Amino acid sequence: MNRLSNWLGEFVHPPREARLDLGRRALLGAGLAGLGAKVLFGIAPQASKRSFNPALIRPPGALPEDEFLARCIRCGECMKVCPTNAVHPASLEGGVEGLWTPLLIMSLGYCDYECNLCSQVCPTHAIRQIEVPEKQKIKIGLAYIDRNRCLPWAYSKTCIVCEEHCPTPKKAIWFEEVEVRNIQGEKLTVKQPRVDPDLCIGCGICETKCPVKAPAAVRVTSVGESRNPENQMLLSNDNYGQG
Amino acid sequence: MAKKKRTSWIVWLRRLTQTGFFLLFCYLFLQTVYHPINKAGWGITFFFNLDPLLALCSWLASHALVGAMLLSLLTLGVTFICGRWFCGWVCPLGALHNFFTSLRGGRAKQKLEAGGYHSWQKAKYYGLVTFVVAAVLGANVVGWVDPISFFFRSLSISIYPAINKALVVVFTWIYDANPGIGPVRLTLVTEPLYGFLRKYFLAVEQPYYWGSLLIGTLFITVVALNFWRARFWCRYACPLGALLGVVGKNPLVRLKKNEEKCNSCRLCLVDCQGGATPDSLWKPSECFYCWNCKSDCPAQAITFTPSASQRCHSERSEESRSDSLVHTSERGSSLRCE
Repeated sequence: MNRLSNWLGEFVHPPREARLDLGRRALLGAGLAGLGAKVLFGIAPQASKRSFNPALIRPPGALPEDEFLARCIRCGECMKVCPTNAVHPASLEGGVEGLWTPLLIMSLGYCDYECNLCSQVCPTHAIRQIEVPEKQKIKIGLAYIDRNRCLPWAYSKTCIVCEEHCPTPKKAIWFEEVEVRNIQGEKLTVKQPRVDPDLCIGCGICETKCPVKAPAAVRVTSVGESRNPENQMLLSNDNYGQG
Repeated sequence: MAKKKRTSWIVWLRRLTQTGFFLLFCYLFLQTVYHPINKAGWGITFFFNLDPLLALCSWLASHALVGAMLLSLLTLGVTFICGRWFCGWVCPLGALHNFFTSLRGGRAKQKLEAGGYHSWQKAKYYGLVTFVVAAVLGANVVGWVDPISFFFRSLSISIYPAINKALVVVFTWIYDANPGIGPVRLTLVTEPLYGFLRKYFLAVEQPYYWGSLLIGTLFITVVALNFWRARFWCRYACPLGALLGVVGKNPLVRLKKNEEKCNSCRLCLVDCQGGATPDSLWKPSECFYCWNCKSDCPAQAITFTPSASQRCHSERSEESRSDSLVHTSERGSSLRCE
Protein backbone atom coordinates (compact mmCIF):
# COMPACT_ATOMS: atom_id res chain seq x y z
CA MET A 1 0.00 0.00 0.00
CA ASN A 2 2.92 2.22 0.85
CA ARG A 3 4.45 1.40 -2.53
CA LEU A 4 1.22 2.36 -4.21
CA SER A 5 0.96 5.71 -2.50
CA ASN A 6 4.63 6.37 -3.23
CA TRP A 7 4.02 5.57 -6.85
CA LEU A 8 1.00 7.82 -7.09
CA GLY A 9 2.91 10.58 -5.35
CA GLU A 10 5.58 10.40 -8.02
CA PHE A 11 3.19 11.67 -10.63
CA VAL A 12 3.30 14.92 -8.74
CA HIS A 13 7.02 14.85 -8.06
CA PRO A 14 8.63 12.80 -10.83
CA PRO A 15 11.95 11.16 -9.98
CA ARG A 16 14.98 11.92 -12.09
CA GLU A 17 14.73 8.99 -14.50
CA ALA A 18 11.08 9.73 -15.14
CA ARG A 19 11.87 13.16 -16.47
CA LEU A 20 11.82 13.38 -20.20
CA ASP A 21 14.24 16.30 -20.33
CA LEU A 22 12.46 18.07 -23.15
CA GLY A 23 13.60 21.60 -23.72
CA ARG A 24 10.96 24.21 -23.11
CA ARG A 25 11.88 26.18 -26.19
CA ALA A 26 11.87 23.12 -28.35
CA LEU A 27 8.44 22.17 -27.03
CA LEU A 28 7.17 25.64 -27.77
CA GLY A 29 8.68 25.39 -31.23
CA ALA A 30 6.96 22.08 -31.80
CA GLY A 31 3.65 23.54 -30.72
CA LEU A 32 4.11 26.52 -32.99
CA ALA A 33 4.87 24.15 -35.85
CA GLY A 34 1.52 22.52 -35.25
CA LEU A 35 -0.16 25.90 -35.19
CA GLY A 36 1.69 27.00 -38.30
CA ALA A 37 0.68 23.86 -40.13
CA LYS A 38 -2.97 24.44 -39.32
CA VAL A 39 -2.73 28.06 -40.45
CA LEU A 40 -1.16 27.02 -43.75
CA PHE A 41 -3.86 24.41 -44.24
CA GLY A 42 -6.45 27.10 -43.62
CA ILE A 43 -5.35 29.27 -46.52
CA ALA A 44 -5.60 26.53 -49.13
CA PRO A 45 -8.30 27.21 -51.75
CA GLN A 46 -10.21 24.16 -50.57
CA ALA A 47 -10.78 25.91 -47.27
CA SER A 48 -12.33 28.94 -48.96
CA LYS A 49 -15.70 27.27 -49.49
CA ARG A 50 -15.78 29.01 -52.84
CA SER A 51 -13.80 26.67 -55.01
CA PHE A 52 -14.09 22.94 -55.10
CA ASN A 53 -11.83 20.39 -56.65
CA PRO A 54 -13.77 18.38 -59.25
CA ALA A 55 -11.60 15.37 -58.55
CA LEU A 56 -12.33 15.38 -54.82
CA ILE A 57 -15.09 12.78 -54.93
CA ARG A 58 -15.49 11.39 -51.43
CA PRO A 59 -17.05 8.01 -50.64
CA PRO A 60 -20.80 8.04 -49.99
CA GLY A 61 -21.49 8.65 -46.34
CA ALA A 62 -18.50 10.93 -45.95
CA LEU A 63 -19.10 13.78 -43.56
CA PRO A 64 -18.90 17.41 -44.75
CA GLU A 65 -15.33 18.29 -45.56
CA ASP A 66 -14.22 20.05 -42.36
CA GLU A 67 -15.57 17.29 -40.17
CA PHE A 68 -14.28 14.69 -42.57
CA LEU A 69 -10.74 16.00 -42.37
CA ALA A 70 -11.03 16.18 -38.59
CA ARG A 71 -12.02 12.53 -38.31
CA CYS A 72 -10.23 10.75 -41.13
CA ILE A 73 -7.10 9.07 -39.82
CA ARG A 74 -5.76 8.41 -43.34
CA CYS A 75 -5.58 4.71 -42.52
CA GLY A 76 -6.51 3.21 -45.89
CA GLU A 77 -9.15 0.80 -44.58
CA CYS A 78 -11.70 2.08 -47.08
CA MET A 79 -9.14 1.82 -49.87
CA LYS A 80 -8.35 -1.76 -48.97
CA VAL A 81 -11.93 -2.91 -48.69
CA CYS A 82 -13.37 -1.25 -51.79
CA PRO A 83 -14.24 -4.21 -54.04
CA THR A 84 -13.95 -2.22 -57.25
CA ASN A 85 -10.61 -0.53 -56.43
CA ALA A 86 -12.30 2.84 -56.74
CA VAL A 87 -11.02 4.46 -53.53
CA HIS A 88 -7.52 5.91 -53.62
CA PRO A 89 -5.37 8.09 -51.38
CA ALA A 90 -5.61 11.75 -52.39
CA SER A 91 -2.50 13.68 -53.22
CA LEU A 92 -3.32 17.40 -53.07
CA GLU A 93 -6.93 17.40 -54.26
CA GLY A 94 -8.10 18.18 -50.77
CA GLY A 95 -5.18 20.42 -50.00
CA VAL A 96 -2.10 19.30 -48.09
CA GLU A 97 -4.31 18.54 -45.11
CA GLY A 98 -6.19 16.07 -47.30
CA LEU A 99 -3.10 14.07 -48.19
CA TRP A 100 -3.90 10.34 -48.23
CA THR A 101 -7.58 10.86 -47.41
CA PRO A 102 -9.86 8.79 -49.65
CA LEU A 103 -11.28 9.87 -52.96
CA LEU A 104 -12.77 7.97 -55.85
CA ILE A 105 -11.08 7.73 -59.22
CA MET A 106 -13.80 6.62 -61.59
CA SER A 107 -11.47 5.77 -64.42
CA LEU A 108 -10.07 2.99 -62.21
CA GLY A 109 -13.18 1.81 -60.39
CA TYR A 110 -16.75 2.78 -59.59
CA CYS A 111 -18.88 2.87 -56.48
CA ASP A 112 -20.90 -0.31 -56.54
CA TYR A 113 -24.62 0.30 -56.11
CA GLU A 114 -25.16 -2.51 -53.60
CA CYS A 115 -22.06 -1.92 -51.50
CA ASN A 116 -21.43 0.07 -48.31
CA LEU A 117 -18.22 -1.60 -47.16
CA CYS A 118 -16.19 1.59 -46.81
CA SER A 119 -18.73 2.96 -44.36
CA GLN A 120 -18.57 -0.30 -42.40
CA VAL A 121 -14.81 -0.33 -41.92
CA CYS A 122 -14.00 3.33 -41.25
CA PRO A 123 -12.60 3.29 -37.68
CA THR A 124 -13.53 6.88 -36.85
CA HIS A 125 -16.79 7.08 -38.85
CA ALA A 126 -15.43 9.82 -41.05
CA ILE A 127 -17.50 7.83 -43.52
CA ARG A 128 -20.66 7.45 -41.50
CA GLN A 129 -22.10 4.01 -41.13
CA ILE A 130 -25.03 3.90 -43.53
CA GLU A 131 -27.17 1.10 -44.82
CA VAL A 132 -27.28 0.37 -48.53
CA PRO A 133 -30.71 1.94 -49.22
CA GLU A 134 -29.52 5.23 -47.72
CA LYS A 135 -26.25 5.04 -49.63
CA GLN A 136 -28.16 4.62 -52.87
CA LYS A 137 -29.72 8.05 -52.43
CA ILE A 138 -26.51 9.90 -51.64
CA LYS A 139 -24.93 11.80 -54.48
CA ILE A 140 -21.15 11.83 -54.49
CA GLY A 141 -20.98 13.85 -57.68
CA LEU A 142 -22.56 14.06 -61.11
CA ALA A 143 -21.67 12.55 -64.45
CA TYR A 144 -21.43 14.71 -67.55
CA ILE A 145 -21.19 13.66 -71.18
CA ASP A 146 -18.23 14.92 -73.13
CA ARG A 147 -19.93 15.45 -76.46
CA ASN A 148 -16.58 15.81 -78.21
CA ARG A 149 -15.60 12.25 -77.28
CA CYS A 150 -18.82 10.33 -76.97
CA LEU A 151 -19.25 7.92 -79.91
CA PRO A 152 -22.87 8.75 -80.89
CA TRP A 153 -22.25 12.47 -80.39
CA ALA A 154 -18.89 12.95 -82.04
CA TYR A 155 -18.41 9.96 -84.32
CA SER A 156 -21.91 9.02 -85.51
CA LYS A 157 -21.35 5.56 -84.07
CA THR A 158 -23.79 3.59 -81.99
CA CYS A 159 -23.07 3.02 -78.32
CA ILE A 160 -25.34 2.57 -75.32
CA VAL A 161 -22.88 1.29 -72.71
CA CYS A 162 -23.27 4.06 -70.15
CA GLU A 163 -27.05 3.88 -70.06
CA GLU A 164 -26.97 0.10 -69.82
CA HIS A 165 -24.75 0.17 -66.73
CA CYS A 166 -26.48 2.99 -64.92
CA PRO A 167 -27.77 1.35 -61.73
CA THR A 168 -30.39 3.81 -60.48
CA PRO A 169 -33.95 2.45 -60.43
CA LYS A 170 -34.98 5.05 -62.99
CA LYS A 171 -31.87 5.41 -65.10
CA ALA A 172 -30.04 8.69 -64.75
CA ILE A 173 -28.93 8.50 -68.38
CA TRP A 174 -31.53 8.87 -71.09
CA PHE A 175 -31.32 8.93 -74.86
CA GLU A 176 -32.27 11.40 -77.48
CA GLU A 177 -32.64 9.54 -80.76
CA VAL A 178 -31.00 11.64 -83.41
CA GLU A 179 -30.62 11.14 -87.09
CA VAL A 180 -27.05 11.68 -88.16
CA ARG A 181 -24.95 10.93 -91.17
CA ASN A 182 -21.92 8.67 -91.09
CA ILE A 183 -18.67 9.16 -92.97
CA GLN A 184 -20.05 7.43 -96.06
CA GLY A 185 -22.88 9.93 -96.10
CA GLU A 186 -25.53 7.40 -95.10
CA LYS A 187 -28.23 8.36 -92.67
CA LEU A 188 -28.49 6.45 -89.42
CA THR A 189 -30.16 6.94 -86.09
CA VAL A 190 -27.99 7.01 -83.00
CA LYS A 191 -28.98 7.25 -79.38
CA GLN A 192 -27.19 10.21 -77.90
CA PRO A 193 -26.92 9.90 -74.12
CA ARG A 194 -27.78 12.68 -71.75
CA VAL A 195 -27.37 12.69 -67.99
CA ASP A 196 -30.27 13.55 -65.73
CA PRO A 197 -28.67 15.54 -62.88
CA ASP A 198 -31.65 14.99 -60.61
CA LEU A 199 -31.29 11.23 -60.76
CA CYS A 200 -27.53 10.79 -61.16
CA ILE A 201 -25.76 9.81 -57.93
CA GLY A 202 -22.26 10.04 -59.37
CA CYS A 203 -21.42 6.37 -58.84
CA GLY A 204 -19.08 6.43 -61.81
CA ILE A 205 -19.88 3.10 -63.42
CA CYS A 206 -20.57 4.95 -66.65
CA GLU A 207 -17.07 6.42 -66.63
CA THR A 208 -15.46 3.12 -65.72
CA LYS A 209 -17.27 1.14 -68.41
CA CYS A 210 -17.24 3.76 -71.15
CA PRO A 211 -15.45 2.24 -74.15
CA VAL A 212 -13.75 5.55 -74.84
CA LYS A 213 -10.65 5.73 -72.66
CA ALA A 214 -8.16 8.29 -71.42
CA PRO A 215 -10.31 10.17 -70.74
CA ALA A 216 -13.72 8.57 -70.85
CA ALA A 217 -16.51 10.22 -72.81
CA VAL A 218 -18.65 10.44 -69.70
CA ARG A 219 -16.97 11.62 -66.51
CA VAL A 220 -17.93 12.31 -62.93
CA THR A 221 -16.98 15.43 -61.02
CA SER A 222 -17.74 16.34 -57.45
CA VAL A 223 -20.36 19.02 -58.15
CA GLY A 224 -23.78 18.01 -56.88
CA GLU A 225 -22.48 16.02 -53.92
CA SER A 226 -25.13 15.67 -51.22
CA ARG A 227 -22.82 16.40 -48.32
CA ASN A 228 -21.88 19.88 -49.55
CA PRO A 229 -24.68 22.38 -50.17
CA GLU A 230 -22.18 24.83 -51.68
CA ASN A 231 -20.85 22.49 -54.35
CA GLN A 232 -24.04 22.37 -56.39
CA MET A 233 -25.11 23.19 -59.91
CA LEU A 234 -28.88 22.93 -59.48
CA LEU A 235 -31.14 24.64 -57.02
CA SER A 236 -32.65 21.43 -55.82
CA ASN A 237 -31.62 17.81 -55.70
CA ASP A 238 -35.10 16.39 -55.83
CA ASN A 239 -36.32 13.96 -58.40
CA TYR A 240 -38.80 15.38 -60.88
CA GLY A 241 -42.16 16.10 -59.41
CA GLN A 242 -41.30 14.87 -55.93
CA GLY A 243 -40.98 18.21 -54.26
CA MET B 1 33.58 -11.11 -23.01
CA ALA B 2 30.94 -12.85 -20.93
CA LYS B 3 29.32 -15.86 -22.56
CA LYS B 4 25.75 -15.42 -23.70
CA LYS B 5 23.39 -17.36 -21.53
CA ARG B 6 20.22 -19.19 -22.49
CA THR B 7 17.38 -16.89 -23.44
CA SER B 8 14.83 -16.28 -20.73
CA TRP B 9 11.34 -17.77 -21.12
CA ILE B 10 9.82 -14.30 -20.90
CA VAL B 11 11.74 -13.29 -23.99
CA TRP B 12 10.32 -16.29 -25.81
CA LEU B 13 6.84 -15.38 -24.57
CA ARG B 14 7.31 -11.83 -25.74
CA ARG B 15 8.44 -12.99 -29.18
CA LEU B 16 5.48 -15.30 -29.39
CA THR B 17 3.11 -12.53 -28.38
CA GLN B 18 4.63 -10.14 -30.88
CA THR B 19 4.32 -12.72 -33.62
CA GLY B 20 0.76 -13.44 -32.59
CA PHE B 21 -0.31 -9.82 -32.74
CA PHE B 22 1.54 -9.33 -36.00
CA LEU B 23 -0.23 -12.29 -37.56
CA LEU B 24 -3.53 -11.05 -36.17
CA PHE B 25 -2.92 -7.69 -37.81
CA CYS B 26 -2.14 -9.38 -41.11
CA TYR B 27 -5.19 -11.59 -40.78
CA LEU B 28 -7.48 -8.62 -40.13
CA PHE B 29 -5.84 -6.86 -43.06
CA LEU B 30 -6.56 -9.76 -45.38
CA GLN B 31 -10.11 -9.94 -44.06
CA THR B 32 -10.72 -6.33 -45.11
CA VAL B 33 -12.23 -7.40 -48.39
CA TYR B 34 -15.59 -7.93 -49.93
CA HIS B 35 -17.09 -11.16 -48.69
CA PRO B 36 -20.13 -12.35 -50.63
CA ILE B 37 -22.46 -11.14 -47.89
CA ASN B 38 -21.29 -7.50 -47.98
CA LYS B 39 -20.44 -7.46 -44.33
CA ALA B 40 -17.13 -6.50 -42.80
CA GLY B 41 -16.26 -8.80 -39.94
CA TRP B 42 -16.70 -7.76 -36.34
CA GLY B 43 -13.48 -6.43 -34.88
CA ILE B 44 -11.87 -5.65 -38.19
CA THR B 45 -10.58 -2.34 -36.84
CA PHE B 46 -9.27 -3.90 -33.63
CA PHE B 47 -5.79 -2.36 -33.76
CA PHE B 48 -7.18 1.07 -34.58
CA ASN B 49 -9.46 0.77 -31.58
CA LEU B 50 -6.52 -0.03 -29.32
CA ASP B 51 -4.59 3.04 -30.42
CA PRO B 52 -4.86 5.91 -27.90
CA LEU B 53 -3.12 8.42 -30.14
CA LEU B 54 -5.74 8.09 -32.85
CA ALA B 55 -8.50 8.25 -30.27
CA LEU B 56 -7.00 11.35 -28.67
CA CYS B 57 -6.38 13.28 -31.87
CA SER B 58 -9.66 12.31 -33.50
CA TRP B 59 -11.52 13.41 -30.40
CA LEU B 60 -9.56 16.67 -30.15
CA ALA B 61 -10.09 17.52 -33.80
CA SER B 62 -13.71 16.48 -34.24
CA HIS B 63 -15.08 16.62 -30.68
CA ALA B 64 -16.57 13.19 -31.16
CA LEU B 65 -15.32 9.67 -30.61
CA VAL B 66 -16.45 6.32 -31.92
CA GLY B 67 -17.34 4.10 -28.98
CA ALA B 68 -15.08 1.27 -30.05
CA MET B 69 -12.06 3.51 -29.74
CA LEU B 70 -12.52 3.66 -25.99
CA LEU B 71 -10.71 0.34 -26.04
CA SER B 72 -7.61 2.51 -26.21
CA LEU B 73 -8.16 3.39 -22.56
CA LEU B 74 -7.12 -0.18 -21.87
CA THR B 75 -3.82 0.48 -23.61
CA LEU B 76 -3.32 3.63 -21.57
CA GLY B 77 -4.23 1.86 -18.37
CA VAL B 78 -1.69 -0.87 -18.85
CA THR B 79 0.90 1.73 -19.91
CA PHE B 80 0.55 3.47 -16.56
CA ILE B 81 1.51 0.19 -14.96
CA CYS B 82 3.89 -1.37 -17.44
CA GLY B 83 5.21 1.51 -19.52
CA ARG B 84 5.60 0.97 -23.25
CA TRP B 85 4.56 -2.69 -23.16
CA PHE B 86 2.48 -1.95 -26.25
CA CYS B 87 5.62 -1.12 -28.21
CA GLY B 88 7.39 -4.20 -27.03
CA TRP B 89 4.62 -6.78 -27.14
CA VAL B 90 1.64 -5.65 -29.21
CA CYS B 91 2.42 -3.12 -31.92
CA PRO B 92 2.61 -4.95 -35.25
CA LEU B 93 4.81 -2.28 -36.82
CA GLY B 94 7.07 -2.53 -33.78
CA ALA B 95 7.28 -6.26 -34.30
CA LEU B 96 8.29 -5.70 -37.90
CA HIS B 97 10.97 -3.21 -36.88
CA ASN B 98 12.12 -5.61 -34.19
CA PHE B 99 12.46 -8.34 -36.76
CA PHE B 100 14.47 -6.24 -39.19
CA THR B 101 16.66 -4.93 -36.38
CA SER B 102 17.46 -8.47 -35.37
CA LEU B 103 18.41 -9.30 -38.95
CA ARG B 104 21.33 -6.95 -38.84
CA GLY B 105 23.48 -9.24 -36.69
CA GLY B 106 26.87 -7.72 -36.13
CA ARG B 107 29.13 -7.87 -33.14
CA ALA B 108 28.25 -6.47 -29.78
CA LYS B 109 30.35 -3.37 -30.34
CA GLN B 110 28.48 -2.48 -33.53
CA LYS B 111 25.18 -3.17 -31.81
CA LEU B 112 26.14 -0.86 -28.99
CA GLU B 113 26.77 1.94 -31.43
CA ALA B 114 23.52 1.39 -33.22
CA GLY B 115 21.54 0.58 -30.13
CA GLY B 116 22.69 3.02 -27.52
CA TYR B 117 20.47 5.83 -26.37
CA HIS B 118 20.74 8.94 -28.48
CA SER B 119 19.34 12.32 -27.56
CA TRP B 120 17.63 12.47 -30.97
CA GLN B 121 15.19 10.03 -29.42
CA LYS B 122 13.59 13.11 -27.94
CA ALA B 123 12.50 14.12 -31.46
CA LYS B 124 9.43 11.94 -31.27
CA TYR B 125 8.11 13.89 -28.29
CA TYR B 126 8.36 17.13 -30.19
CA GLY B 127 6.63 15.48 -33.11
CA LEU B 128 3.86 14.37 -30.78
CA VAL B 129 3.37 17.93 -29.56
CA THR B 130 3.16 19.21 -33.13
CA PHE B 131 0.51 16.69 -34.08
CA VAL B 132 -1.50 17.16 -30.90
CA VAL B 133 -1.53 20.93 -31.31
CA ALA B 134 -2.60 20.50 -34.93
CA ALA B 135 -5.40 18.20 -33.74
CA VAL B 136 -6.56 20.69 -31.13
CA LEU B 137 -6.89 23.17 -33.98
CA GLY B 138 -8.91 20.70 -36.03
CA ALA B 139 -6.31 19.10 -38.29
CA ASN B 140 -6.23 15.36 -37.60
CA VAL B 141 -3.08 14.73 -39.60
CA VAL B 142 -1.47 12.43 -37.04
CA GLY B 143 -2.82 9.62 -39.19
CA TRP B 144 0.11 10.22 -41.54
CA VAL B 145 2.56 8.99 -38.93
CA ASP B 146 0.57 6.97 -36.44
CA PRO B 147 2.10 3.49 -36.65
CA ILE B 148 -1.12 1.50 -37.06
CA SER B 149 -2.37 3.89 -39.70
CA PHE B 150 1.04 4.07 -41.40
CA PHE B 151 1.40 0.30 -41.49
CA PHE B 152 -2.12 -0.45 -42.70
CA ARG B 153 -1.98 2.23 -45.36
CA SER B 154 1.43 1.12 -46.61
CA LEU B 155 0.29 -2.49 -46.78
CA SER B 156 -2.96 -1.57 -48.56
CA ILE B 157 -1.58 0.80 -51.12
CA SER B 158 1.83 -0.66 -51.91
CA ILE B 159 3.15 -3.72 -50.16
CA TYR B 160 0.21 -6.06 -50.58
CA PRO B 161 -0.43 -5.11 -54.22
CA ALA B 162 3.28 -5.61 -54.90
CA ILE B 163 3.38 -9.02 -53.22
CA ASN B 164 0.20 -9.98 -55.01
CA LYS B 165 1.60 -9.01 -58.37
CA ALA B 166 4.92 -10.74 -57.75
CA LEU B 167 3.26 -13.99 -56.72
CA VAL B 168 0.85 -14.01 -59.63
CA VAL B 169 3.62 -13.27 -62.11
CA VAL B 170 5.87 -16.00 -60.75
CA PHE B 171 3.20 -18.68 -60.56
CA THR B 172 1.82 -17.77 -63.96
CA TRP B 173 5.27 -17.93 -65.49
CA ILE B 174 5.80 -21.40 -64.02
CA TYR B 175 2.44 -22.45 -65.37
CA ASP B 176 3.20 -21.11 -68.84
CA ALA B 177 6.79 -22.29 -69.03
CA ASN B 178 5.89 -25.64 -67.48
CA PRO B 179 9.40 -26.70 -66.54
CA GLY B 180 10.10 -30.28 -65.65
CA ILE B 181 11.38 -33.61 -66.87
CA GLY B 182 8.97 -35.93 -68.64
CA PRO B 183 5.86 -36.44 -66.55
CA VAL B 184 7.41 -34.75 -63.51
CA ARG B 185 6.48 -31.10 -63.83
CA LEU B 186 7.02 -28.27 -61.38
CA THR B 187 3.36 -27.36 -61.74
CA LEU B 188 2.45 -30.51 -59.82
CA VAL B 189 3.71 -28.67 -56.76
CA THR B 190 3.10 -25.06 -57.65
CA GLU B 191 -0.48 -25.29 -58.84
CA PRO B 192 -1.96 -26.65 -55.59
CA LEU B 193 0.09 -24.05 -53.72
CA TYR B 194 -1.25 -21.36 -56.03
CA GLY B 195 -4.77 -22.58 -55.43
CA PHE B 196 -4.24 -22.27 -51.71
CA LEU B 197 -2.86 -18.75 -52.06
CA ARG B 198 -5.75 -17.78 -54.34
CA LYS B 199 -8.23 -18.87 -51.76
CA TYR B 200 -6.66 -17.40 -48.63
CA PHE B 201 -4.20 -14.73 -49.57
CA LEU B 202 -4.27 -13.31 -53.07
CA ALA B 203 -6.63 -10.55 -54.13
CA VAL B 204 -9.55 -11.36 -56.39
CA GLU B 205 -8.28 -8.75 -58.82
CA GLN B 206 -4.89 -7.12 -58.84
CA PRO B 207 -5.30 -3.79 -57.04
CA TYR B 208 -3.69 -0.63 -58.39
CA TYR B 209 -3.50 2.55 -56.36
CA TRP B 210 -2.53 6.13 -57.03
CA GLY B 211 0.31 7.19 -54.76
CA SER B 212 1.60 3.66 -54.40
CA LEU B 213 5.17 4.54 -55.31
CA LEU B 214 5.52 7.29 -52.73
CA ILE B 215 3.81 5.37 -49.96
CA GLY B 216 5.74 2.21 -50.73
CA THR B 217 9.08 4.02 -50.87
CA LEU B 218 8.43 5.73 -47.55
CA PHE B 219 7.58 2.43 -45.94
CA ILE B 220 10.60 0.62 -47.28
CA THR B 221 12.85 3.52 -46.21
CA VAL B 222 11.47 3.46 -42.68
CA VAL B 223 11.98 -0.28 -42.43
CA ALA B 224 15.46 -0.09 -43.94
CA LEU B 225 16.49 2.51 -41.35
CA ASN B 226 16.50 -0.32 -38.82
CA PHE B 227 19.80 -1.35 -40.34
CA TRP B 228 21.26 1.99 -39.34
CA ARG B 229 19.77 2.43 -35.89
CA ALA B 230 17.95 -0.27 -33.93
CA ARG B 231 14.17 0.14 -34.09
CA PHE B 232 14.63 3.52 -35.70
CA TRP B 233 10.95 4.37 -36.09
CA CYS B 234 10.03 3.31 -32.57
CA ARG B 235 12.80 5.29 -30.96
CA TYR B 236 13.04 8.44 -33.02
CA ALA B 237 9.81 9.01 -34.91
CA CYS B 238 6.78 7.21 -33.54
CA PRO B 239 4.28 9.65 -32.00
CA LEU B 240 2.35 6.80 -30.40
CA GLY B 241 5.57 5.66 -28.80
CA ALA B 242 6.04 9.21 -27.58
CA LEU B 243 2.53 9.33 -26.13
CA LEU B 244 3.03 6.01 -24.38
CA GLY B 245 6.43 7.23 -23.22
CA VAL B 246 4.81 10.24 -21.59
CA VAL B 247 2.01 8.21 -20.03
CA GLY B 248 4.45 5.49 -19.01
CA LYS B 249 7.27 7.65 -17.75
CA ASN B 250 6.64 6.59 -14.20
CA PRO B 251 5.47 3.00 -14.39
CA LEU B 252 4.65 0.75 -11.51
CA VAL B 253 6.68 -2.16 -12.86
CA ARG B 254 10.25 -0.96 -12.87
CA LEU B 255 13.66 -2.26 -13.82
CA LYS B 256 15.65 -2.93 -10.70
CA LYS B 257 19.37 -3.47 -10.86
CA ASN B 258 21.20 -5.24 -8.11
CA GLU B 259 24.30 -3.12 -7.78
CA GLU B 260 26.30 -5.78 -5.95
CA LYS B 261 25.83 -8.30 -8.73
CA CYS B 262 26.38 -5.86 -11.60
CA ASN B 263 29.93 -5.72 -12.96
CA SER B 264 29.25 -3.15 -15.69
CA CYS B 265 29.82 -5.55 -18.53
CA ARG B 266 27.16 -3.63 -20.48
CA LEU B 267 25.79 -6.76 -22.09
CA CYS B 268 22.35 -5.46 -21.16
CA LEU B 269 22.87 -2.57 -23.57
CA VAL B 270 23.71 -4.71 -26.56
CA ASP B 271 20.21 -5.97 -27.23
CA CYS B 272 18.24 -3.18 -25.56
CA GLN B 273 15.49 -2.44 -28.04
CA GLY B 274 14.39 0.95 -26.86
CA GLY B 275 17.67 2.56 -25.90
CA ALA B 276 16.58 2.69 -22.29
CA THR B 277 20.12 2.51 -20.84
CA PRO B 278 19.56 -0.29 -18.36
CA ASP B 279 23.22 -0.14 -17.40
CA SER B 280 23.09 3.29 -15.87
CA LEU B 281 19.95 5.34 -15.23
CA TRP B 282 17.07 3.32 -16.67
CA LYS B 283 14.76 5.41 -18.82
CA PRO B 284 11.22 4.10 -18.39
CA SER B 285 9.87 6.22 -21.23
CA GLU B 286 12.16 4.48 -23.69
CA CYS B 287 11.82 0.95 -22.34
CA PHE B 288 9.74 -1.53 -24.33
CA TYR B 289 9.79 -4.15 -21.57
CA CYS B 290 11.27 -6.59 -24.05
CA TRP B 291 13.19 -8.31 -21.24
CA ASN B 292 16.32 -8.68 -23.36
CA CYS B 293 18.49 -7.02 -20.73
CA LYS B 294 17.26 -9.32 -18.00
CA SER B 295 17.71 -12.30 -20.23
CA ASP B 296 21.21 -11.32 -21.34
CA CYS B 297 22.63 -10.34 -17.96
CA PRO B 298 25.15 -13.02 -16.99
CA ALA B 299 25.07 -11.94 -13.37
CA GLN B 300 21.27 -11.92 -13.19
CA ALA B 301 21.44 -8.45 -11.76
CA ILE B 302 18.30 -7.13 -13.48
CA THR B 303 14.72 -7.73 -12.44
CA PHE B 304 11.42 -6.13 -13.33
CA THR B 305 9.22 -5.71 -10.31
CA PRO B 306 6.44 -3.47 -9.13
CA SER B 307 8.16 -0.88 -7.02
CA ALA B 308 8.46 2.78 -6.40
CA SER B 309 11.36 4.44 -8.17
CA GLN B 310 14.79 4.03 -6.67
CA ARG B 311 15.44 7.76 -6.62
CA CYS B 312 19.10 7.05 -7.22
CA HIS B 313 21.40 10.02 -7.05
CA SER B 314 24.21 8.67 -9.13
CA GLU B 315 27.31 10.70 -9.82
CA ARG B 316 27.14 9.22 -13.27
CA SER B 317 23.69 10.60 -13.95
CA GLU B 318 25.02 13.70 -15.71
CA GLU B 319 27.11 11.57 -18.05
CA SER B 320 24.28 9.23 -18.85
CA ARG B 321 22.13 12.10 -20.05
CA SER B 322 24.81 13.42 -22.38
CA ASP B 323 24.67 13.16 -26.11
CA SER B 324 27.14 10.35 -26.48
CA LEU B 325 26.07 7.32 -28.45
CA VAL B 326 28.10 4.89 -26.45
CA HIS B 327 28.07 5.08 -22.70
CA THR B 328 31.28 5.34 -20.83
CA SER B 329 30.14 4.18 -17.47
CA GLU B 330 32.82 4.47 -14.82
CA ARG B 331 32.93 1.78 -12.25
CA GLY B 332 33.89 2.79 -8.77
CA SER B 333 31.17 5.32 -8.09
CA SER B 334 28.58 3.59 -6.02
CA LEU B 335 24.96 4.54 -6.20
CA ARG B 336 23.26 5.88 -3.16
CA CYS B 337 19.63 4.86 -3.21
CA GLU B 338 16.84 5.95 -0.95
